[in-house]
Amino acid sequence: MEDNPGELWIDQGRDLFYQKRGPRNASLEQCDFGMGPGKLEGAAVRLPRYFADTDRVEDLESRLLTCMTRLQGFDRGQLIREAISAPASRGSDIEALALYVTSRSNGMKVNVTLNHQKEYDMYKAGEYLFYRRSGQTDFGCVQCHGEPDKRIRLQDLVHMTSKAGAQEVASTWPAYRGSHYVVRTMQWRLNDCVWQMRLPDLKYATDYSIALTTYLNRQGNDAVMQVPGFKR
Amino acid sequence: MKTSWIKWTLSAATGLVVAGCATYPDQETTRQMAEKMVFEAFTASPAHMKRLEQDRSQQICSKIGDAKLSAEEAAEVVKLARASIRYPASGRLSGDWKAGDRLAHDGSGDRIRNGKTEPNKENGALCQNCHALAPGEINVGNVGPSLTGYGKQRGNSEAIVKYTYEKIYNAWMYFPCSNMPRLGATGHLTPEQIAHMVAYLLDPQSPINQ
Repeated sequence: MEDNPGELWIDQGRDLFYQKRGPRNASLEQCDFGMGPGKLEGAAVRLPRYFADTDRVEDLESRLLTCMTRLQGFDRGQLIREAISAPASRGSDIEALALYVTSRSNGMKVNVTLNHQKEYDMYKAGEYLFYRRSGQTDFGCVQCHGEPDKRIRLQDLVHMTSKAGAQEVASTWPAYRGSHYVVRTMQWRLNDCVWQMRLPDLKYATDYSIALTTYLNRQGNDAVMQVPGFKR
Repeated sequence: MKTSWIKWTLSAATGLVVAGCATYPDQETTRQMAEKMVFEAFTASPAHMKRLEQDRSQQICSKIGDAKLSAEEAAEVVKLARASIRYPASGRLSGDWKAGDRLAHDGSGDRIRNGKTEPNKENGALCQNCHALAPGEINVGNVGPSLTGYGKQRGNSEAIVKYTYEKIYNAWMYFPCSNMPRLGATGHLTPEQIAHMVAYLLDPQSPINQ
């Protein structure tokens, strides 16, 4: 783990978290990731979850958007346009923040629980979407991620219908992606999957990706969080 | 300002309100919610939005978890597949194995970024992504079965040519709901391109049969 270049993004994320920034000149210390304002320990391992103040189930990245707009006054559209950085860039603020917040759960077990009706709904919708085939490739997620020891060309595919595979998904994002020289998030991962599936441009932080993340992370419960992951 | 922050953060206490009676939604409610999510999740022109719509076979073939395809459903998928098959205008189901070789190793075509599809002249056939091809090729996937020696094992009788063509055009005619894309039926490949793939698989000169 010491050799993971993604470690650098943790420091960047910590700085961004505590700096007073944005039109309201505020830090993110009052941001509530579900454990109370500013409480980061163990927050990421329980995401996505329902938030009463938005009346939505939010994943980490949509929660960051909520806080950066409400607390700091940033423009949501602008944040979304910049959320996924160019390869070999210094990365986006959200990428660094997502990694920092998740790193504060390192060593803890993933524990996505379903309490609110909207959490049950998200979980079931995510499961449905995992198996939903469409487009000219007839692909759902399960076509590539439903069996063990499979590869696309030389790229290993995570076996997400197994406990161990789902746990890998739930505990290794955000991750440093070697071929991109930047830290990537779960929203990016899903975006890239649907691109290969020949679907149109996936919007950032919509219910579609939050549902899939809710499903996969809950399937991955009890994995020990360890970020940044390292991906090819 | 401070007061409004406090109000906001207090109201963020999560997940407690409706905890009593919450449970999994039923199948039909789940379907409706998830389908709504699909059509709200993408930025696309009307033409590209069509890619999100499932045809009847895709609906049948999206079984959740261990749910099994019934005999009636399998029969319907096969019937729809049979009806989907189109042959090249020339009537020749086997084309140029060299063109097929090139297409088999091309995994690009028709992907969408920022509303624009890739500028390829034609779509790649995607074979290498999932199948072992000529002997000794290392950069090949294993999601589907190995195709090494495909023609050597089967010969190239008229029946095999026709079967191979139809299998690529719409794999679900023979294996309903298999992972293999219905490359012709969905419009990813043209009948002429599929004929090149047939030649690549069956021609004794093709590297896949060496």
